[in-house]
Amino acid sequence: MKKIATFATVLAICGGGLYTVIAAENAAEQPATAAAPAEPLVCFESRKGASEVTQRDLKPGWPNVKCSPTTGAALWYGDPFDGTVPMGKMPGLENLPEGHALVKPRSEKLALMPLCGTSCHNGVGPQFTPPTLPKDKKPTPIPTMAGMVPDLANFQHGRDRIWCLDCHHATKRNMLVDNFGDPVSFDQPQLLCGKCHGDKLRDWRDGIHGKRIGEFASDGKKRWFTCTECHNPHNVQDGLRNKGFIQLQPEPSPQLPKGMADASHEKLHPIPQH
Amino acid sequence: MQQLISFTTDYTRYILKGGVKFYAWMASLAVLMVGMMYVFYLQNTDGLIVTGMTSQIHDGLYFANLVFLVGVAAGAVTIVFPAYAYHHEGMHKVAVLGEMLAITAVIMVMMFVFAHMGRPDRLWHMVPPWGIYSFSSMLGWDVMVLNGYLILNAICGFYYLWCKYTGNPINQKWFLPVVYLAIVWALSIHTVTAFLISTMPSRPMWHHSMMPIRFISTAFAAGPALIILVFLIIRKNTKFWIDDSAINLLSTIVTWCLGIAIFLTMSEVVVELYARTEHANGLYYLMFGLHGLTKLVPWFWTSVILMIGSFLFLIFPAYRLNYKVLPILCVTTFAGIWIEKGMGLIVPGFIPTPIGEVTEYYPSFVEVLLTIGIWAFGFFILTILLKGAIGILLGDIKYGGSKAVATK
Amino acid sequence: MAINEKTSADPVRQSAPACPAQPASADPSQAVLKTTRRDFLKAGGMLSMSSLMGTAALMAQSDDAHAAIEWAEHFQKNYRLMTAEEKAEAKARLERRYSGEYGKEVTVDTTEAQPGVLMGYALNIRKCIGCRRCVHACVAENNQSRGKDRPGEKIEWIQVLRMERGKFEQEKMNHGYPEGLGIQVGGNAYTPAGQVLEGQYHYNPEKVPEEDATYMPIACMQCEKPPCVKVCPVRTTYREPDGVVVIDYNWCIGCRMCMGACPYWARRLNVTNPVLPKEEMNPVTHYLGNRPRMRGVVEKCHWCLQRSRHGRYPACVEVCPVGARKFGNLLDPESEVSKILARKNVFRLKAELNTFPKFFYFYD
Repeated sequence: MKKIATFATVLAICGGGLYTVIAAENAAEQPATAAAPAEPLVCFESRKGASEVTQRDLKPGWPNVKCSPTTGAALWYGDPFDGTVPMGKMPGLENLPEGHALVKPRSEKLALMPLCGTSCHNGVGPQFTPPTLPKDKKPTPIPTMAGMVPDLANFQHGRDRIWCLDCHHATKRNMLVDNFGDPVSFDQPQLLCGKCHGDKLRDWRDGIHGKRIGEFASDGKKRWFTCTECHNPHNVQDGLRNKGFIQLQPEPSPQLPKGMADASHEKLHPIPQH
Repeated sequence: MQQLISFTTDYTRYILKGGVKFYAWMASLAVLMVGMMYVFYLQNTDGLIVTGMTSQIHDGLYFANLVFLVGVAAGAVTIVFPAYAYHHEGMHKVAVLGEMLAITAVIMVMMFVFAHMGRPDRLWHMVPPWGIYSFSSMLGWDVMVLNGYLILNAICGFYYLWCKYTGNPINQKWFLPVVYLAIVWALSIHTVTAFLISTMPSRPMWHHSMMPIRFISTAFAAGPALIILVFLIIRKNTKFWIDDSAINLLSTIVTWCLGIAIFLTMSEVVVELYARTEHANGLYYLMFGLHGLTKLVPWFWTSVILMIGSFLFLIFPAYRLNYKVLPILCVTTFAGIWIEKGMGLIVPGFIPTPIGEVTEYYPSFVEVLLTIGIWAFGFFILTILLKGAIGILLGDIKYGGSKAVATK
Repeated sequence: MAINEKTSADPVRQSAPACPAQPASADPSQAVLKTTRRDFLKAGGMLSMSSLMGTAALMAQSDDAHAAIEWAEHFQKNYRLMTAEEKAEAKARLERRYSGEYGKEVTVDTTEAQPGVLMGYALNIRKCIGCRRCVHACVAENNQSRGKDRPGEKIEWIQVLRMERGKFEQEKMNHGYPEGLGIQVGGNAYTPAGQVLEGQYHYNPEKVPEEDATYMPIACMQCEKPPCVKVCPVRTTYREPDGVVVIDYNWCIGCRMCMGACPYWARRLNVTNPVLPKEEMNPVTHYLGNRPRMRGVVEKCHWCLQRSRHGRYPACVEVCPVGARKFGNLLDPESEVSKILARKNVFRLKAELNTFPKFFYFYD
């Protein structure tokens, strides 16, 4: 317990420092965007708050992506491989030709990432091995971390049965952890998530679960969307909704056909509701 | 050859002559036809957006009239059949008038086909050798049987008139088989038109095997109703006398075909609404409205009242044989069936769409004017054809009798 | 014939590349105009009927390239019956017209079905959140009419159906069915739960998925036994060897029989001249796919032939935020659709109609 407390204090101090750094960064960014004549169009891809893509023209009149003017979601891909890197080693996908499995690096989106492993958790971790939470304790959100990652205040994943270090590497905090305790890149969360969600991993590997874009042939070149691009790892079930995918604003509804003033009739039922 | 030329010139000359009433009638029809041409131009430059049709309800007034008029064309057989199969004396005299009506109705159907198409400029795609004829398509079959019916009636009608004109005897050896073929063919046109819509499982309201017989029974009520009206007008305005026996036979046919039609409609209502499955939604929309949308409900009940009312009067000889009341009953029958079989059958077939979207349909001004214009055009042709035919039947036009016409 | 091909292909090389280079304000049709006229005069000697007609139109009425090309288009054959030369000619003609109309280099692909490919689609109905992103991706890709002024000017090929979950409640228990006949009272809290195809299309909540609803997207099912193909009187709609039901828009007469026959309401009618702004037009097109359509013809989903014939996923698959949409080669046992058929519970919409869709719905 004492260890955890110390650990938390260290974390809190580091986090405070880090937070100011990020705030400064944001402040520096804002005037720049305001001064620019045309703000670059950034649209989110799967869920809001995860991977994003900035619109630019690949050729005149041929953008890499088209964004929805209503919701800001990516609506159309001119280049499905825009900003991707090779997925890296993935068990079960060894048969794919070299360079045919691509992912969008998530690390760069997570602004804290480069700092986590250096500023605060400089190779420091809980001394107990394996780094499991003692049975008489419950995981407690650390205010500083919760300030940076709001979802932690309402941490739900595992419903109190798991804690930070079940997923995050104990000493390399900018990495995740796999079955063997080895560090895993944030770009390959499937190696971590599959530890528990084996059925989903299997479906994902076969293209049944999750999303892939690019060439549809089974050995085609594809960008694979990784687990965290669609699911929020800290709040997968989204509270009482208990759904894996966060709610979002829908695109506009179809045009009303000629002769229809509104669509209120759709809400009525043809057979009376007894 | 000389006979042919003089037939054409005499015929043309005769139909061009007429009183003020005749010219006024033809001129008012012509005005409507000019309006029709203007809206047809609009529809084929701006597209079908000027009509009330949508992707949801894509067959409207045009298709409804098309279906109805195929029935009128087929209804002409109610004259030809008794005339040739039962040698009905009164009918035999006027059989050719029925053929003229059939010709007119088929031409009107063709015009509604033109009005209905999204690309009438491409209709040649259906005609080999330039286009492709598809044997799997009911529309292909429909076009074929309609054209066949037009040709058969033109042959029968004009050959008969030609013989009357020249005074040659009719060559019964080929004429009678062609007439019998035309009689059977008349059934085929309406059967195929019924198949056009009843072969689509995607539209449960139409997808039943009762459709052809319902079509034919309504056709044999609406067609003769129109013919009776025409006959009574002819009797009143020309020297040509149509026997009471012919009119009485027709009104009997109207009565019982109307009765069968009402019976079939009622059977459908019971079958569909007893279980009230999702497939009954179309009929339910027509009768009571669906999801609170009730545009067609008054039309349906008007049609029910017209049809049942006409039937109740028609079954009593006192009314049926009274030529003062009969025209009114014919008009109500005709109107009732026009609603029931046109708008009342075609439009609710699309409500809801096969994936459950409920929308409504209103004919636009363009659609209404184009429809009226085509009807005007039909009456225009019918007037010409009937006038010519009556002229020949009366002996006003005769080979070698041109002088008689000239002096008239 | 070789000469024929050359002359008809020439203008594309001459005019089209020039288009994108021009400033946006200049009328691109001006540049195309002169070349076209020369080419049509050059082509005067050709025996092909379409070229002859084009020339005739040109000399007779105007030297408007657009009109002449459209005139020639009127006389082309059904796409399936065209020879390779005629296809090339039609392709060149369309590329020239579209490039002029939309002010950029437009390509009209005529790639045939690839051997060994039978396209299939699967949709995870449990995953769909009803966000309609697929609907709008489809519009961005497939050059549908997207006007806003008049109803009917906006065409969408995918419909997303919202269905109520329904709730059985104690308060409803005292009502009976059949009601009013005294046969049975109570034991019934009727609710439309699970009722399909009786739903809402114009839903517009702030956020989806809503708690009390499920969603079901519907588009062309690319049936193995397509009723639309059977009823077409001119055989302009047919099934390609890779399983996609296509339409030759230039041969369609707009009779709408196919729309009536389709049990999935997959087909749309261009009720007016399509409203397609130049800057939104997708210049990569396929002859049987997303090339701009004309007034009065029917169109529908074709699984993005211009993409899928080149191995790329359809646009709707790529934007689905939840990965509910799956597409692949049914003949390849390793493809995602084959794996779904092997592993998941699938159903075909309205299977009782024996249309055998190649679009499968499945559950996790």
